[in-house]
Amino acid sequence: MDQSLIRNFCIIAHIDHGKSTLADRLMELTGAVRSDEISEQMLDSMDLERERGITIKAKAIRLNYKAKDGKIYRLNLIDTPGHVDFSYEVSRTLAACEGAVLVIDATQGIQAQTLSNVYIAMDHNLEIIPAMNKIDLQGSEPERVLQEISAVLGFKKEEVLLMSAKTGVGVPELLEQIVQRIPPPQGDNALPLRALIFDSHYDVYKGVIAHIRVVDGSITKGTRLHLMGSGTDMEILETGYFVPKPYPASELSAGDVGYIATGLKSVGECRVGDTITTVANGATELLLGYDPPKPMIFAGIYPTQPEDYLELREAIEKLSLNDASLTFEPEFSPILGNGFRCGLLGLLHLDIVCERLEREFSLSLVVTVPGVKYLVTKTNGQKITVINPAELPEPSGIAIMEEPWVKISIITPSLFIGALMDLTRESEGIYKHTEYMGQFTTGGELGQRVRLEYEMPLRSMLATFYDQLKSRSRGYASLDHEFIGYRETKLIKLEILVNGVTVDAFSRIVPPDKAHDIGKAMVVRLKKSIPRQLFQVPLQAAIGGHVVAREDISAKRKDVLAKCYGGDITRKRKLLEQQKEGKKKMKSIGKVEIPKEAFLDVLKLNQE
Amino acid sequence: MLLVRHILEKYLRICYNCIVLSTSAIALYVHIPFCRRKCNYCSFISYENKESSIPDYILALQKELLYYTGSNTISSIYFGGGTPSLLSVKQLNDILQTIHTVFRVDDKSEISLEANPGTIDTNYLSAIRKAGFNRLSLGIQSLQDKELAILGRIHTTDEARAAIGFARNAGFDNLNLDLIYGLPGQTLAEWHDTLLATITLGAEHLSLYGLSLEQNTPLWQAIEEKSIPAPDPDLCADQYEMAEDILSSYDYQQYEISNWAKAGRECRHNLVYWQYRSYLGIGVGAHSFTGNRRFSNTPELDTYIPIFTNDLAPVYDVNEKINPQLQIAERIILGLRLNRGIIIAELNHQSGINIMEYYNKQIKELTTAGLLEYKNGILRLTRRGRPLSNEVFWRFLPD
Repeated sequence: MDQSLIRNFCIIAHIDHGKSTLADRLMELTGAVRSDEISEQMLDSMDLERERGITIKAKAIRLNYKAKDGKIYRLNLIDTPGHVDFSYEVSRTLAACEGAVLVIDATQGIQAQTLSNVYIAMDHNLEIIPAMNKIDLQGSEPERVLQEISAVLGFKKEEVLLMSAKTGVGVPELLEQIVQRIPPPQGDNALPLRALIFDSHYDVYKGVIAHIRVVDGSITKGTRLHLMGSGTDMEILETGYFVPKPYPASELSAGDVGYIATGLKSVGECRVGDTITTVANGATELLLGYDPPKPMIFAGIYPTQPEDYLELREAIEKLSLNDASLTFEPEFSPILGNGFRCGLLGLLHLDIVCERLEREFSLSLVVTVPGVKYLVTKTNGQKITVINPAELPEPSGIAIMEEPWVKISIITPSLFIGALMDLTRESEGIYKHTEYMGQFTTGGELGQRVRLEYEMPLRSMLATFYDQLKSRSRGYASLDHEFIGYRETKLIKLEILVNGVTVDAFSRIVPPDKAHDIGKAMVVRLKKSIPRQLFQVPLQAAIGGHVVAREDISAKRKDVLAKCYGGDITRKRKLLEQQKEGKKKMKSIGKVEIPKEAFLDVLKLNQE
Repeated sequence: MLLVRHILEKYLRICYNCIVLSTSAIALYVHIPFCRRKCNYCSFISYENKESSIPDYILALQKELLYYTGSNTISSIYFGGGTPSLLSVKQLNDILQTIHTVFRVDDKSEISLEANPGTIDTNYLSAIRKAGFNRLSLGIQSLQDKELAILGRIHTTDEARAAIGFARNAGFDNLNLDLIYGLPGQTLAEWHDTLLATITLGAEHLSLYGLSLEQNTPLWQAIEEKSIPAPDPDLCADQYEMAEDILSSYDYQQYEISNWAKAGRECRHNLVYWQYRSYLGIGVGAHSFTGNRRFSNTPELDTYIPIFTNDLAPVYDVNEKINPQLQIAERIILGLRLNRGIIIAELNHQSGINIMEYYNKQIKELTTAGLLEYKNGILRLTRRGRPLSNEVFWRFLPD
């Protein structure tokens, strides 16, 4: 096909701003699916995505659109993940497009993550079509949001399309603008093949399916291909595109978007961002820098029942075939038994992984508090990385310790600036910048919208930062963050001793000046969640063997069934059996029976 | 069709008999599931506002008793509830008559009736004494009116004191009083007063029960809603220890976790439960035990009455065979409730295993923790172990 008739674009939108509804409407209007075939938001294929209203894996759909000029255009709609945990994937998706439709909710305005995605799109020189969605809703504030779009992003008000993806108003105009404003691909069919992988997933029958954008040259079935970043060679079993169901084709040529089935066993061998060329007469230059994301946070994942360990291992292995960003290594905790220390892109990624493990593999999990990766240079010169608090050396053994920092960007109505500044200060944030987004105030006394920029240890974001941000701003503030590098820090390991025994799963890495408060809070919480035993149980928080806080659980004195009524011994025995079963579910540490819930309680403890 | 049903029922009836057939005398429990008003803490099988069903219920009871024709000798009879004293003298007499028709009742049998102090007078008690009841158990529960109000009892402390007078006038020389401690807001001093006042009433037997909060009872609800304070378990333990100390200095010998008696006045009927001997329960929700099998009637009054009235096959709520391993555990759990403890040699003989060896780990843990003691071949709960007895008992259950 003539490249001048191809338009490759994506939709940039915040969660719930209407991206999936718009995609449905575009498919319906171009006849890719009939309206009665649309099962609400077809692009999100996983149940989980649909329930959470976010998209985890990008896919592309080919739409044939007859424009007003009478020509039939091929529109490739490439879906993007909406969450900052997947920002690497977003940047690769955007690199596969020439244009983007920026969807902004007329009731909410620009959100922090949308802004960061728009900046990425601008970096890639994408043509951006701003569209304000949900104009049909009561409570929409088109004037204010238009003003915001123009102040923050520099668009003229008349450039912004007003639409409602739900009712369809403005969507035909959007299709025309896509054709008119987004430039066609400029690749060369005669050059050696270069195609960008912007998504991949594992299929049991066909191996890894890579979603690709062909930039130069062409791909045909059976060709031997080479991945320039990872060095993998492979043969194409099948090629084609989605309409939205997969549709095999004999060839994908320059400017096209589609998929290839590779037969590879794991997405790790065929990762997003890599450049595909042919083995014979291949290209020499990659399309983009190949730099797959590395896990930023780490958490222990354990089966609730120790006997489920092998099942958990199998489940994580299967999941990782489809998720190249998930790393895992076996870990043993004297308390929780056998499990895995998993590396993840962020908290949402952790949530998704845990939920999939529980849902798709029917597992019950215990997840420890997520932490970051510390770089430690020991006094003997040895450099180590620490992803499990239990492995942190004693303070005397540490020469230099470094931890990851992030730049965070918060967009909030000005009313909440004070509360959010307190929050960031408590979270060790360093103030960088404030930016007012237009002169209009939002409805009520919320004030003008403001963007705040801070630098903060990533560690501070992992406890309750996001929840606090939401609750202190009545839900109005939005957050974006970006890794900026490692900085030197001085942190110590806080240990908890139950009846004199150190419990590894309770250890955490904290700033020295907060150790006492956190330690106190932990033992107080533990006192509430550990039932009384037959003897007194001391709970201690300690730093390097020095106790900083202590609580005692006094010995239990009463546990008796009173009346043996009318010979109903069965009921009494059943109660005792329940008691025995309950004890079985507890972990015995230093003779103390600790319920599983106590671990979760204390791990989720608010650091403040 | 009719014939088949007839044969089937005959067969079921024979089976039912076989179950209970035992060579030694058994204890008989009769459940009377009616109350004028249900108490705030009560989760027992009892119904309020159903007194109109009493005549039908008595008919069904008598029919159920007939199922056991030709069976055993009875050594004790216990009418529990509910409120058995809601029945008229004639109704109680009718039931006793049927019992005498069906069983051979030992002349020296202990025949007890539970009574609510708000439902009785001297005439009534004289008549039932004459009918054969020789032991009366009065649920006085407390001697503080504000506590009776929390419990939702239908009587006052004055009525409780009066009831004891009626019982003595009527010739009852074997009297039990029930008390409940560990009440919301009950202080140690108040409990001390109740104990001393109770002692002056001079009953032969005392049962002291720590309040157990059962789900969905009004008291449980009120505590959930925080409209009254939750009982403090440590205070409850203090109250229990206080009772042990005071009662022993007034000639009340503790013989079971919750029971005290003057010399020779232990409740023979209840001893049957703890000594793992056979008993038969009659009435809605009543439990029976044969040595290796336990079963209970349906707890639904509306099921119980038609079944037995129409000679239909009984509907069991519980019906379990107790395997030898579980029998040993139950023997230990029930036997340890008694202050005399368990004679290990006897249990070794009964079970055919070496108990001290078999339960070595548990016994060692519990003696170390100070809940059990083993002396002169006898295993018993310590003073600390009694109020913590569940912690002892569950450890003896089989895996």
